Amino acid sequence: MAPNSQGAAYSAGTPAPEGIDLSERVSRTSSDRYMPYLLGAAAIFSGLVVTLLIVFVVQKAWPVFHAEGWRFLTHGGWDTQLEDAWDPAGRAFFGVKQLIAGSVFSTMGALVVSLVLGLGCAVFVTELAPSWIKLPFESVVQLLAGIPSVVFGLVGLMVVVPFISDHVVPANIGDIVPEIPINGSSLLAGVTVLSFMILPFFVTVAADSLRAIPRSYIDGGLALGMTRWRTITRIQLPAATPGLIAGLVLAAARGIGEAIAISMVAGAIAFVPTLQHGPLYMMLEPIRTMASAIVENGGEAMSVPAIAAALFGLATLLLLFSISLSLLARWSFSLFNRRMGIVTDRSL
Amino acid sequence: MGPLQDEGRHRIGSRVGIALCWAAAIAVASVCLFIIGYLLVQGWHSINWTFLSTDPVASMTEGEAGGVRTPMVGTAVLVLFSTFLILPVAIGAAIYLAEYMDERWWITRIVRIGLETLASVPSVVFGMFGLAVFTLGFFKFLSASGTEGGNMAFGRSFLVASIVMGVHVLPFVIKVAEESIRNIPLSQRQGALALGMTKWRTIRKVVLPAAKSGIATAVVLGMGLAAGDTAIVMLTLGGTMTMAVDKWWQVGNWVEVLKGAGSTLTSYIYFNSPAGDGNSPGAALGAAFVLIAIVLVFNLAAVLLFRRQQRAA
Repeated sequence: MAPNSQGAAYSAGTPAPEGIDLSERVSRTSSDRYMPYLLGAAAIFSGLVVTLLIVFVVQKAWPVFHAEGWRFLTHGGWDTQLEDAWDPAGRAFFGVKQLIAGSVFSTMGALVVSLVLGLGCAVFVTELAPSWIKLPFESVVQLLAGIPSVVFGLVGLMVVVPFISDHVVPANIGDIVPEIPINGSSLLAGVTVLSFMILPFFVTVAADSLRAIPRSYIDGGLALGMTRWRTITRIQLPAATPGLIAGLVLAAARGIGEAIAISMVAGAIAFVPTLQHGPLYMMLEPIRTMASAIVENGGEAMSVPAIAAALFGLATLLLLFSISLSLLARWSFSLFNRRMGIVTDRSL
Repeated sequence: MGPLQDEGRHRIGSRVGIALCWAAAIAVASVCLFIIGYLLVQGWHSINWTFLSTDPVASMTEGEAGGVRTPMVGTAVLVLFSTFLILPVAIGAAIYLAEYMDERWWITRIVRIGLETLASVPSVVFGMFGLAVFTLGFFKFLSASGTEGGNMAFGRSFLVASIVMGVHVLPFVIKVAEESIRNIPLSQRQGALALGMTKWRTIRKVVLPAAKSGIATAVVLGMGLAAGDTAIVMLTLGGTMTMAVDKWWQVGNWVEVLKGAGSTLTSYIYFNSPAGDGNSPGAALGAAFVLIAIVLVFNLAAVLLFRRQQRAA
């Protein structure tokens, strides 16, 4: 095509340099003019969707905050309130203290477990593993992240819960903990399942921040006669701490929002586990989290305005938790990057 | 204290520490493989042609759960619809973030914070958001089945669930797509610009073709997320196990099916698990087998595409 179009361009007497078709150039320029706006609109829309989310959820939750005020957070009794709210004559009243406790307990427990296991995995995959094992191990961790939460819940319900009720719960549990029926669906089962759900997110971030530590750090330690293990514990892990914290915070955001799996294995009873019978029995008591309360009652119950408002209130609390956790993670990451940045400046 | 003494004092500690790291890694890998293996072994018993080709039955009796035909179709519809709905927005935003945006601009910071926050919002909250928006009377055309009195829409349908699911996976797709566009070497762009191409033409003719596999990875990852989500499905697709219309495969009924409630593999698993009302663990395990097979295929595709991208870039 080139010779012909060039010929045409020259015969028309245009001053275009050889090889450039002027007509095409004009059309290119016009798409060049509007494309940035089109793409920018897509980017800005995507960035602002979250404000839409906040506006709609908070606005729907307003009735319950208006009616209950702080009592919504400081009072309990969700399970009975939910049944009372169906009665049109009664005055609906909601307090979600136990649900907040359930979310916080299960997430904290899962964080502890995945911190211990995840640190081991991250150090393993960045420092200790033979090179042929690294890629398969990372794929397994990715796979764990890809398993749907309902599948985690199903396996937990078929394997973990029966195991706890057969081998952990003592036969005379009714005498020891009289307040609540204990049957294996428990905080312990919830923590077990949740730990493995949030672990891959922590491992990925932790491994990335360990890899970001400059090689000169490790060499410096080794030159001082440190063992490989001591460079890990005394140099790499302390240097990577802000990155590790960011990973932990992201994992916490995952954990607090997990609904299905927790609702399947953790008993689905709004109850605050207490230490009055000792830590083991505390772990055996059932819980219900904010997220699982939403998903369990988000069906027909939504037709009752009071229940709908209470569920939107829970969604608002979850939004508050997850947004603040994500900002905290962002701050942690920037701290980590700045720290690593200072390092490179100094080494120059 | 010399370095050699130090070495001796810490040798036992370091052996134990290294052993613990190996133990943690082995534990995590075996839990993951156990979950997959458990589902493959247990679910395999339930898989037969009848299970795959019959519709579910909303029965509370054990062993009467029916098959997973409509849940499989539901998962496919939801995954494809949500992906195609957000694809233009996601790729457009990824191109803009990677190629045009000035990182020092205050709007860039807001967009980045917005996307990060959106990615951290739990899927139950997206489900509630969907119910808040799409029960408005204005959106009656998206979920015609059974209006809840007055000027409210039902708010539960394949269309509503697809939109909400699309918004849920949007930040993840943008992130991976942006990353793969950024990874295209600057020299390729410079070459095109030196030949007299405009910026947009460079992006369209050079950068996007080179980042093709990476963008495909992003889309496949988003599809995997959409296939596995349960909370959005339960809130915005409804609890009914079957399609809104009996003869859902007839083209004439498709609009009604999309505007109606239904089920996906995830909601079928929940309903039939011991925690749901269906009480047919066998059927739940069979459906979990199918779901895990789908997720594995998506994961494998993502890995292969990602390798191809790395070779290309």
